[in-house]
Amino acid sequence: MAEASYTAPLATRGLGERLVDALLSGRGIWPAVPAIIVLTVVAVIPFVILLSLGFSDMEVSRGAIVSQTFSLQHLTNALTDPLYWTTFQRSMTLALTTTALCIFFGYPVAYLFLIGGRWTRRLILVLTIAPLLTSGIVRTYAWLVILGGRGVVNSTLMSLGLIDQPLRIMNTHWAVLIGMVQIHLPVMILPLIAVMSRHDGRLVEASANLGASRLGTLRTVILPLSVPGIGTGAALVFTLSYTTFVVPQLLGGGNYLNAATMIYEQVVYSLEWSKGSVSSMILMVTCLIVLVAIALVTNHFTRWTKGRDA
Amino acid sequence: MRAFRHLSLSDALGIGLILCVAVFSLLLLVAPSIIVVMISFDTRAFVSFPPEGFTLRWYAEVFEQGELVDAMLNSLQVGLTVTLLCILLGVPTALACARGRFRGTTALSVFVLVPHMVPGIVLGVAVLFAGALVGVSPSIWLQSVAITVFILAVMVRTVQSRLVRLDPALEEAAANLRATPFQSLRTVTFPLLMPAILAGAVFTFVEGFDNLSVAIFTHGFRDRPLPVELLALVQYTSSPLVAAVSGVQIVLAIAALVAVSLSIGLDNVND
Repeated sequence: MAEASYTAPLATRGLGERLVDALLSGRGIWPAVPAIIVLTVVAVIPFVILLSLGFSDMEVSRGAIVSQTFSLQHLTNALTDPLYWTTFQRSMTLALTTTALCIFFGYPVAYLFLIGGRWTRRLILVLTIAPLLTSGIVRTYAWLVILGGRGVVNSTLMSLGLIDQPLRIMNTHWAVLIGMVQIHLPVMILPLIAVMSRHDGRLVEASANLGASRLGTLRTVILPLSVPGIGTGAALVFTLSYTTFVVPQLLGGGNYLNAATMIYEQVVYSLEWSKGSVSSMILMVTCLIVLVAIALVTNHFTRWTKGRDA
Repeated sequence: MRAFRHLSLSDALGIGLILCVAVFSLLLLVAPSIIVVMISFDTRAFVSFPPEGFTLRWYAEVFEQGELVDAMLNSLQVGLTVTLLCILLGVPTALACARGRFRGTTALSVFVLVPHMVPGIVLGVAVLFAGALVGVSPSIWLQSVAITVFILAVMVRTVQSRLVRLDPALEEAAANLRATPFQSLRTVTFPLLMPAILAGAVFTFVEGFDNLSVAIFTHGFRDRPLPVELLALVQYTSSPLVAAVSGVQIVLAIAALVAVSLSIGLDNVND
């Protein structure tokens, strides 16, 4: 009896279903193969090609490459060109400042999340996630409205009688910085919240019971424990703000050249693809260096916390 | 316990200051969207604050502008294609990452994550160049595939984190009841994964619809997606038309937010 009922389902299974079983039982690598192929063709190979183009002379005609020969010319040209240095320096300063300011403005929100009640938490989540679902252009456009000549800031200041002439905020470094911080703030807050909601609430209580003030608890318990969150947030905000295109283009008024806008001009307008490849590579390598630095610093302070606990 | 929580003056000041910054930041997050929505109802033909009057004229105009409607439809197509591809490629990959009994599951997770960590513009440029090398010119399809590769990691991670938290007893029960692995996948695992797949679908759709960094290099010459069209529009128009487009997008974002909170809950967006 038992024997029969054991073999029955197997017998009714067709070849197709057994094949599906083998593929989808989820024990082998098979389910991932299509994704691996697509990622290899559309990401890995293109990166290799990008690398090769940066090291070669080529002719481009009608969107296709006609000839290609090895050359270090473009790399050395880029590294000796002062325009590259100032552009990348500008992007780097802007991204690092943005990251620092996002930590400054984001951390208190995460702290409020930690000590807040259910509705405060829900409100913070809605206000943080909603902007991520809205396009970057829409969010940047809002700053055109706010900072423009007849915008919110200027009309408020003028109606208060503080200024006679509209301030020129748009198309300055400040407009770009303000936009950058506001647009990337949610990306900083979310990892912080994630780390904080994994905290053991009893640690905070224990600290209070031992007579620590709230600031003391924040400094000696909450802050050290949230270092990984700061690290993740900083890495995300840095990558995004270092490589962003929209904010400098719209709030910087066309003449604010950062690394991303430079690459765009080289690739789309002047069709200097070798230059574009080299710029993309420099962008990626410099970005990676900062990410490694952020990881090292994060790791250092995380270890320090662990050592202290032990 | 309360007795221990004496609040000294400096403590109160410090915490108060921190909470002030928190409230300011939250206002900073939401204020721009509110201002844009207000502007979108302005009766005047230029952007100025505070708005005067109330009209739906700009919303009507959005749908009268052929290029904008075309761009929206293009982006809709990209969004749906990206979502479909991410489900087809991402869900099985998440299964392999979470359930795989082979060496290198971690390597696989990292491999999926790499294109997502690379700056979008670098991926866009790389795909454009690779396409040119083999004779594939930018098109709505190239754009969709490139954005899929860029955002696939989000789908994989969302589904994977749900898979890891599933109670293995449920699938063991299915196996004990003589379900084949495929039957148990179809009748037990998939229904339990649906919320995560739905949430992943929302995020990948939004990326497909809104992505600029990859799209700006890979979109078709004639099939301009909404972000590319908007970028030009913002630079060369000064009417509240863009505010109305933004208003439409904000409504879509709220819908997406509701979808996410109903599927996996907002608390789980991070994992």
